Amino acid sequence: MTGYAIRRLLGLIPVLVGVTLIIFAITRVIPGDPAIAMLGQRSSPALRERLRQDLGLERPLWLNMAAARESGDFADLFDSQYFDYMTDLVQGDLGRSIFSNIPVATSLAARFPATVELTIFAMLFATAVGIPAGVWAALRRGTAADTAVVTLALSGVSFPVFWLAIILIYIFSVNLGWLPPGHRLSPIVQFSLEPITGFYVLDSLLRWNLSALWDALKHLVLPAIALGTIPLAIIVRMTRSSMLEVLGQDYVRTARSKGLEERRVVNKHALRNALLPVVTVIGLSFGTLLSGAILTETVFSWPGIGRWVFDAISARDYPIIQGGVIFIATIFVVVNLVVDLAYGLIDPRIQYE
Amino acid sequence: MKRLLVAMLALALFGLVGAQTLVYGVSGPPSSLDSVDSQDGNSLVVSGQITETLIGFAPGSTELIPRLATEWSSNEDGSVWTFELREGVTFHDGTPFNAEAVAWNFSRWNDPEHPYSFRDQGKTYTPWTWVFGGPKGDGSILDEVVAIDENTVEFRMNQPSPFLPAQLAAIYFQIDSPTAVMEAGVDYGTPAVGSVGTGPFKFVEWREGQGVVVERNDDYWGGPAKVERVFFRPITEPTARLAELQAGTIDIAVLLAADDLQAVESNPDLEAVTAEAELNVGYLAFHQANEPLDDPLVRQAIAHAIDRQAIVDAFYQGLGVVAEDHLPPTLFGHGEPWPYDYDPERARELLAEAGYPDGFSTQLWYMPVSRPYYPAPQPIAETMASYLADVGIDAQLMTEDWTTYLADYSTGKFPMYMLGWNADYADPDNFLMTFFGPDAQENQLGWDSPEVTEALTTARQVADPDRRAELYSQVVNTVAEEVPSIPMAHNRSLNAVRSNIEGFVMSPLGYSSVSLHEVSKE
Repeated sequence: MTGYAIRRLLGLIPVLVGVTLIIFAITRVIPGDPAIAMLGQRSSPALRERLRQDLGLERPLWLNMAAARESGDFADLFDSQYFDYMTDLVQGDLGRSIFSNIPVATSLAARFPATVELTIFAMLFATAVGIPAGVWAALRRGTAADTAVVTLALSGVSFPVFWLAIILIYIFSVNLGWLPPGHRLSPIVQFSLEPITGFYVLDSLLRWNLSALWDALKHLVLPAIALGTIPLAIIVRMTRSSMLEVLGQDYVRTARSKGLEERRVVNKHALRNALLPVVTVIGLSFGTLLSGAILTETVFSWPGIGRWVFDAISARDYPIIQGGVIFIATIFVVVNLVVDLAYGLIDPRIQYE
Repeated sequence: MKRLLVAMLALALFGLVGAQTLVYGVSGPPSSLDSVDSQDGNSLVVSGQITETLIGFAPGSTELIPRLATEWSSNEDGSVWTFELREGVTFHDGTPFNAEAVAWNFSRWNDPEHPYSFRDQGKTYTPWTWVFGGPKGDGSILDEVVAIDENTVEFRMNQPSPFLPAQLAAIYFQIDSPTAVMEAGVDYGTPAVGSVGTGPFKFVEWREGQGVVVERNDDYWGGPAKVERVFFRPITEPTARLAELQAGTIDIAVLLAADDLQAVESNPDLEAVTAEAELNVGYLAFHQANEPLDDPLVRQAIAHAIDRQAIVDAFYQGLGVVAEDHLPPTLFGHGEPWPYDYDPERARELLAEAGYPDGFSTQLWYMPVSRPYYPAPQPIAETMASYLADVGIDAQLMTEDWTTYLADYSTGKFPMYMLGWNADYADPDNFLMTFFGPDAQENQLGWDSPEVTEALTTARQVADPDRRAELYSQVVNTVAEEVPSIPMAHNRSLNAVRSNIEGFVMSPLGYSSVSLHEVSKE
């Protein structure tokens, strides 16, 4: 098992190098560049050219053939944008934003906890509601209650996140005044909480600042529901169908005929097996949630990485796009690896060599 | 449980350090507080409370008033300007504000060789290039700024610069503490450092994506501000800004959707705030490399075909006005009123005269983003296209991502396109040179008008304001005759405050130029 995990971890390296190559290529292929975005409407070709020079965008992208040929030194071949970037990257330096000069690593550290916290709560909402609802529907197969759950789940997938978010804000913030319309903390609490980890729920507990904890939780409710609705719908349907399949298995029939009470049959025998595919879905959803947070972050002014990378793409802020995408990709493959390894723990039939 | 929560909430409110915090809902996070290295309103509105320009604008107007400079005068041809500086002012870090500091700041922006310029580390000072033409030795109209004595500086220009004071009043050119810049290096203006100036508020903290807090500077030369603290809160979506204002989590919301005017006016807790007039214009331009748009008769026909008044009535919610020319009404230099009324009959005649009795096909490109001068680009474009269809012109509607759009509009790819302008400084030059100067003629219009080029270049170097007005009206009249571009509308942005907020006055130059010094919260 350990050997397998290490092998898999090493296998991530070529994948991530591939990601850097692809993201480097894509950022340079899309039309428009930072010089255009910075100069806006006032860009003459001459100004643009000068700014591109200043920003180092005129240097060779992959390999510096010209320099190598001139000096005859093989090492000069790697005097290029990509290899400079990679040299900095392995030293943990992600460069600075072209527009703001803020180090990309600093921004990631500031924004990443917000996105992860939101994602975790969205997932908690989706699983806490989704698994029981799926089991409940499966046990009432074919009844009106079952149909209602399935229909609701189906419509959950088809709600546009943006629309749902705005509706939630109008009902619960503007009209009822129960919950805040956005951000992570109220203006009055915002600067009373000195962050430690950047996860505000955790930080407010660590600092034992209960008013900040309550405030942070209140701010999480609406965005977590908005972001969690789609995975919720998927989890409900997945749990239901998986549960139905398991309930028809021989061992469940055996358990029942042994006279075990129904609750134990469902919880101990059926559910544990039924959850296997659900775990896969949860793992995969995490990755999509990280990237799917863009809309939710926009509507709720949530200071995460989704909207930040999105804006960077509009502005062609290459270092942010590269750093953000590489970071998200890393999270994605690591989560997938964890899901794979979790299989072995849940399902004794799976053996990793 | 419920009791406990109420108690906790009361505690939270009670624990407030002074309730005098003004929460300002802006449309996005700042990029940098190093003002000449930032170009977006969300950065400048924050830095503008901390650092100050030499010359300011009277609240709600474009009239120049003393700020860090108290008086100014120039030699005969405007090539040397002398500024007297306010005495006894210090930066927030205790550094004295004086002629030396001013000269140091301008040298940092102008001179690529300046040791604290950091151009090699990614600072570009783009707004400097916009207003002053480029860095020293590469297009800059400024040669150098010299400290004559403790409180006098001399701006030595490379050419006559008759409207230098208007340019210096542009919100970008805020004076930073040299000590602070030297200390922070390339990190000056980032969240780790913030910025240090002479303004009514001092930088406290910037949490990325979550906002910036500034606190009152009790030693401000203009007297202390009326609120203790301002919290700039970034809210990207206009609907969300309105929702937060309605919910009371923010005190001021800028740039609301024009459609929300009704919602604001019908709510007793809110007040709409608009400027008397804002310096902007939306226009429909032609790139004449595309036939038959190179024919002035065709362009005149299009000018007659579109009912601009109807578009303004439908999409500007009573906040905008039809543009008589490309200059905002409050600026000087206007010419004859726009001669093309809505007359589809006349448009068809002109098309027939040009040899297109059955019309023709072309493309109309519209912006993918909303701006004050075009609050709803797509529906406006659809309306224009339907007017064009009435006279037989088939305009296919096109758009693309904003950065690409800005790259492509100056290549001739767009036969007809919508665009507009928000002023940097209050002078006709900022509009007409941008739209019709030699660069624009060549790249953005495919138009060649030596007399317009001549008039615009001359007007830049003439000190006599009457003569300048005459030259600009010549340009305006030539544009009306040849129609390289059709002026559409001037608009005012809709902003709103909670009714307990007093003294928030919108600037004609947009919300980034608003001072919060006089704003109070009941």
